[in-house]
Amino acid sequence: MDYVLMKGNEAIAEAALRAGCRFYAGYPITPQSEILEYMSANMEKHGGVFIQGENEIASMSMLWGAAAAGARCMSSSSGPGFDLKQEGISYLSSYNLPAVIVCAMRYGTGDGEITAGQDSYWEAVRGGGHGDSRQIVLAPASVDECAALTYEAFDLAEKYRNVVLILTDGAISQMIEKCHLPQAREHDINQFDWTIGNHKKDDPKNKVTNLDRTIGYEAAERYLRNKFKTMHDQEQRWEEFMTDDAELILVAYGISSRVCKSAVRQARSEGLRLGLIRPISVWPYPEKAFAHAPEGLKGYVSVEMSLSAQMGQDILLATRFRKPVYACLTTLNLPTAEGIIDYCRGIIAGAHQPMEVL
Amino acid sequence: MPSYKKPESILQPAGYCGGCGHGIIQRLIAECLEELGVTNNVVNVVDIACAYWSLDALNFDAIAGPHGRCASVATGVKKVRPDSTVYVHAGDGCSYVIGLAETCYTAIRDVPITMVVVNNGIFGMTGGQMNLATTLIGDKTLSSRSGRKRETSGHPVDMLKALSSFDIAFAARGALYDAKHIEQTKQYIKKGFENQLASRGFSIIEVLSPCPTNWKMTPEAAMEKIKTENEAVFPVGVYTDRGGAE
Repeated sequence: MDYVLMKGNEAIAEAALRAGCRFYAGYPITPQSEILEYMSANMEKHGGVFIQGENEIASMSMLWGAAAAGARCMSSSSGPGFDLKQEGISYLSSYNLPAVIVCAMRYGTGDGEITAGQDSYWEAVRGGGHGDSRQIVLAPASVDECAALTYEAFDLAEKYRNVVLILTDGAISQMIEKCHLPQAREHDINQFDWTIGNHKKDDPKNKVTNLDRTIGYEAAERYLRNKFKTMHDQEQRWEEFMTDDAELILVAYGISSRVCKSAVRQARSEGLRLGLIRPISVWPYPEKAFAHAPEGLKGYVSVEMSLSAQMGQDILLATRFRKPVYACLTTLNLPTAEGIIDYCRGIIAGAHQPMEVL
Repeated sequence: MPSYKKPESILQPAGYCGGCGHGIIQRLIAECLEELGVTNNVVNVVDIACAYWSLDALNFDAIAGPHGRCASVATGVKKVRPDSTVYVHAGDGCSYVIGLAETCYTAIRDVPITMVVVNNGIFGMTGGQMNLATTLIGDKTLSSRSGRKRETSGHPVDMLKALSSFDIAFAARGALYDAKHIEQTKQYIKKGFENQLASRGFSIIEVLSPCPTNWKMTPEAAMEKIKTENEAVFPVGVYTDRGGAE
């Protein structure tokens, strides 16, 4: 059998186990709880450790210890729970510890709703917690991609010694569809020289704390700037769909991008030439996809489930304000192909103003 | 006869203030681990406060903070490295105030680590504010300038009593104000490590420890205060000893 039917959340958890993730700690919150549940049911079969934490902060602190000890580790959350992950992401980043954190976005400020949304974008892509750090943020748009990106996330986390976020949403996390599962593999907790608790390693002992305390401020700053730049240049990922002759290019990730793809097809059948840029990495933002706009392009349209044009700001930066950027924001509702097409017709008719900041 | 030779595990001086108890506790930990012959495979989990000094001072693998979450960090390390001897050296602000949930649930999970909590009744590293768990009624701090009042801040809590209501391996409180009590404290810490080496579960050792700098006292007066005031609220002794097969 070359594929299975799975929920997005289950595909994330199974791909993590197949990538050699042997430590998971987390706290239940909708709509990501199936990740925790799947880990509780399956982690022990792989000889790993599952812990249901007393809260998110404790779970992330366990991850800080487990990552320092060399394990491939993961946690997951949503909405207000993802807020509480930020302290841990900052700590993991302070010593360049690899870990994979999933945020299944729900909609709203405060408690908000438990249904799909995309308004944790800023929180995910602007550097976790206090201080100045960057995390690679990958945004799957299908269950298949949930598995593939999670599996690869562990490699990226170790390649750069960095936190990698999987930014999904309530819709992608909850939908069931066809999924190809990657090959299972094991991870050696003694393969790196920076881990603690490896008693076979010779002196000096390892001290896991702020990187500047171990290698000095200048070296740490140089190392981090270089790492951020390398990740920015090397890890931009996106998909382009019918952009070559587009009058308007939709820009969307996750669940919104799927609807946008339908909108592009439908609009073209009606004579409106839309295209789509689908960021797969939302940090680094795929600026390279915006380097050459097709001739006759009237602008970009950010399609997001948010109140403000959160990703829209990144399009402004990526385009350096060379083209108008419009924002089609559907807040807690899934976008519809008809709604997107109507909005685009409105742009061409001059009914919508380009976004300035929000 | 006790040996006064510096433990080999202590690599360099730490920055503790004069008369501070942290240095004694750090030394007792080193002595116990050396006497148990396990110094090659130790992970020291320190809090982001005064205990941070022991991260560099001791020749053990070590990891710091996040503030208050030491028991959780130690859980992560111990679960991945069950053969390592993992201990926490942290203060009472970390373990009993901001990190109380983490301390309690590590105890409830009965994770086989050794947790050493320094009860000095004050937030030392931040300059001397009230500790909700351990500052005595009437004690003056930077955030209780006319003395802690029960009406506004509640009564200090004997956390070892609370922790003893969980099913854990060992809970004991020691003090440092004379040689007899230092030796007793050392035996408690050693018991905590022996429990871990025998996979007996969670052990916590609290130590009544002076902070002359923030108490604004001489080291002698600080020791005297512990003996006459703090110990009355926080009695030394064993609170829980579950025992168990060797």
